[in-house]
Amino acid sequence: MSDKKRDIGFYLSIYRKILIQDLKSKMSYRADFIISTFGMILTNLSGFITFMILFRNFPSINGWDYHHMLFLYGFALVSLTPVQCFFDNNWNLRFHVRTGDFIKYCFRPINVFFYFMSEVFDIKGLGQLAFGIGTLIYAWSHIGLEVTFGSICLMMLYLVTASLFMIAIMNFAAATAFWMEGSGNVMVIMFRFKDYARYPASIFNKIFRVIFTFIIPIAFVAYYPSLAILDPSEAPVMIGIAPIFGILFFFLSYKFWMRGVRRYDFTGS
Amino acid sequence: MLKRLFALTKAGIQESLYFRLGTFVTLFANLIYLVLVYFLWKSIYASAGTDIVNGMSFTDTMIYLILATALFNFLEMYVVWDMSRSIQSGKIILDLLKPMKFKTYTFWSYSGSHVIMFFLTFIPTFIVVMIVTKGAIPMGINLLYFVISVILALVVNFHIEMLVATLCLYTESTWGINIVKETIVLLLSGASIPLAFFPEAFRKVVSVLPFRAVYDVPLTILLRKEGADNLSGVLTFCGFQAAWALALILASTLFWNFSVKKITVNGG
Amino acid sequence: MEQKAIVMKDICKDFKVLNRHEGLKGSIRDLFSRDFRTVSAVKNVSLTIEKGEIIGYLGPNGAGKSTTIKMMTGVLEPTSGEITVNGNVPYKDRTKNSENIGVVFGQRSQLWWSLPLIESFNLLRDIYMVEKKDYEDMLDLYRSLVDLEPIINKPVRQMSLGQRTLSDILAAFLHNPDIVFLDEPTIGLDVSMKAKIRDLIKGLNENKNTTVILTTHDMGDVDALCKRIIIIDKGQKIYDNDIDHLKSYFGSYRTLSLRLSDDTWEEHLIDESKEDIMQIINEKQQKGGIKDIRLQEISTEEVIKKIYEGGV
Repeated sequence: MSDKKRDIGFYLSIYRKILIQDLKSKMSYRADFIISTFGMILTNLSGFITFMILFRNFPSINGWDYHHMLFLYGFALVSLTPVQCFFDNNWNLRFHVRTGDFIKYCFRPINVFFYFMSEVFDIKGLGQLAFGIGTLIYAWSHIGLEVTFGSICLMMLYLVTASLFMIAIMNFAAATAFWMEGSGNVMVIMFRFKDYARYPASIFNKIFRVIFTFIIPIAFVAYYPSLAILDPSEAPVMIGIAPIFGILFFFLSYKFWMRGVRRYDFTGS
Repeated sequence: MLKRLFALTKAGIQESLYFRLGTFVTLFANLIYLVLVYFLWKSIYASAGTDIVNGMSFTDTMIYLILATALFNFLEMYVVWDMSRSIQSGKIILDLLKPMKFKTYTFWSYSGSHVIMFFLTFIPTFIVVMIVTKGAIPMGINLLYFVISVILALVVNFHIEMLVATLCLYTESTWGINIVKETIVLLLSGASIPLAFFPEAFRKVVSVLPFRAVYDVPLTILLRKEGADNLSGVLTFCGFQAAWALALILASTLFWNFSVKKITVNGG
Repeated sequence: MEQKAIVMKDICKDFKVLNRHEGLKGSIRDLFSRDFRTVSAVKNVSLTIEKGEIIGYLGPNGAGKSTTIKMMTGVLEPTSGEITVNGNVPYKDRTKNSENIGVVFGQRSQLWWSLPLIESFNLLRDIYMVEKKDYEDMLDLYRSLVDLEPIINKPVRQMSLGQRTLSDILAAFLHNPDIVFLDEPTIGLDVSMKAKIRDLIKGLNENKNTTVILTTHDMGDVDALCKRIIIIDKGQKIYDNDIDHLKSYFGSYRTLSLRLSDDTWEEHLIDESKEDIMQIINEKQQKGGIKDIRLQEISTEEVIKKIYEGGV
């Protein structure tokens, strides 16, 4: 009957509209906004304090000195921003599934994954972004890296790649809710793994390096890309094709998530 | 009365087990997480060049952090989230109407998952750590003190949770207040980095706050550090916990009663 | 030939469920259990629904109602059988199917929780790509049927249950779908709100010739809205005909109320084909005397109750 085309432009415009409305309504809950922002700043501060305390007692970790570690830290903060801002609704997935609420996302003529994620934009992630960028600039200037057009572009590319990896990890973790109860544990654990993204993966033994490279690829969230920027000669060759891996991994996680939706329907719970 | 409370505990255990796969995943992932902590600190100590930093050897730090994580899993509660959901769905009214006091009810419902988590995460972790570190954990009467201290820690932790959860009656910002609570507790209790590494002045402040009663005190007693190697030292520590437990029970009860009265009056 | 709204032919749907065991020991055993059994939720259901009908889709809890609805909306794929909705096979192209349907599922609002209603409408307009003119016509129609003013600028989270239900129904009709599924739309509402909602559904159905599939436990909804009802029980269709037919089918039933000498009322559901009313009255009269008599036609509610209890 209808031949309505919903292309990427359609989805972007829908997202933009939802975002604007959502921000408008968020601004009207000022207390909530302030408390959340405070919480976000506090978590970032606490991370820094832990970091400072650590370096007060130990001068370096596995050959990475203070500024290099800061770079890694800042990189992780920035690359973790998109998952925080745009995919935060993953955390609510298990409640929607358990209560049967999830069905409401299945009746619209748009992509279920998109529809679900578009519902929440987490503005608090922006604080983290600011923190991360600040840290990165500080570390960058102290390490004495050159600032060129090329290095900035490379940095951007790696940040996007790293974000894709983290988003994919959380998609996989959240989608387990379709198969099992108590999947919240999986998410919490993955979320805690991400704390290890800010340490050099070289501290782990071979088995874990393989795991963190190929299975739960948190080494791509900060370590490999940082290495590629700070010390290209040390970086593994495959970092060059990491962006392709990133896209692929994200795509797989999306497929997995959508499979979960099918399964959810089938059990009809 | 006690029988009814234990019925809640039992129901909690059953519910935890009901999360079939989830239980396995928790167990497995905790082990992996502990291995990560191991690697991190191993390389940190290797880079330091000395064996002992601030009175903590690598083994001490490991035992401390691993057991802190295990305690964290064991003590973890979602009272704040439960409360906010219950408020948003209006279920809170039913909760308030239940014959048991809301707090008592919540506490004993959680005790079931505590029991499960104790056997599923804490005991296995403890045994692994004990075997791997070959006698670094003193084995004696301190184990008994430790158990007592953990129970006190549980009470302190629960009342911190209750205190924060009560705030949900005033604001919808559950995420915000929960993250503030979690961040403060984790940092100041020594769960993310042992208090021994904190700068002196900072440590002095932290040592009188209630947060260390949750993770740092039980572990210090277990490892017989900082004067916890004799009975009077242990008593001081447990006294510290008990004092905070009492203070928090009082504070959370008063705050809760005051707040409930307020919403009932406002008809919220 | 005009296209049918919904055609189902020998539809079956099976689910696999884990056998859970009782008690603490059972819970532990379930951790390792691979003990599944198959449950048929829907068995050989065939039905045809014409355009513009309002169908009362009834059945006791767990009868397979929502499973059928999920198959019609394309969310579930049937285990076997054929199904077409507006000529499409719903589960094969869920997107296309969902453009032509509207759904209100229980009390779960499908609107954006924190947005004012009008903004939700605007977003839905974009999502369904509704033409500006059609959209405005629809809003005009809404205004003629209900008083939009108190709710149009209100965020959904601040609405009362009644307002939320109203909003959800309006949202379901917004893109002028061919079929709208309403699952217990009046549950938990007060009498006047119920009436309002029923008028709205009727009005929208008449104006837009929208097919409405209404699942409900409230026979007031059925009496007010439906000409035809379908009853499903234990996964099987047990009744599919006019509501009048249902009554005439059970017409030989009447309720006899007798006020006895001690002023208590006694009720008898009487099947006139088997029992004689006069005889019962005579017996009672001989036993202790009757002060008053009332004879009523059976209500839909009672007919349905009899059917659920297995009296067909």
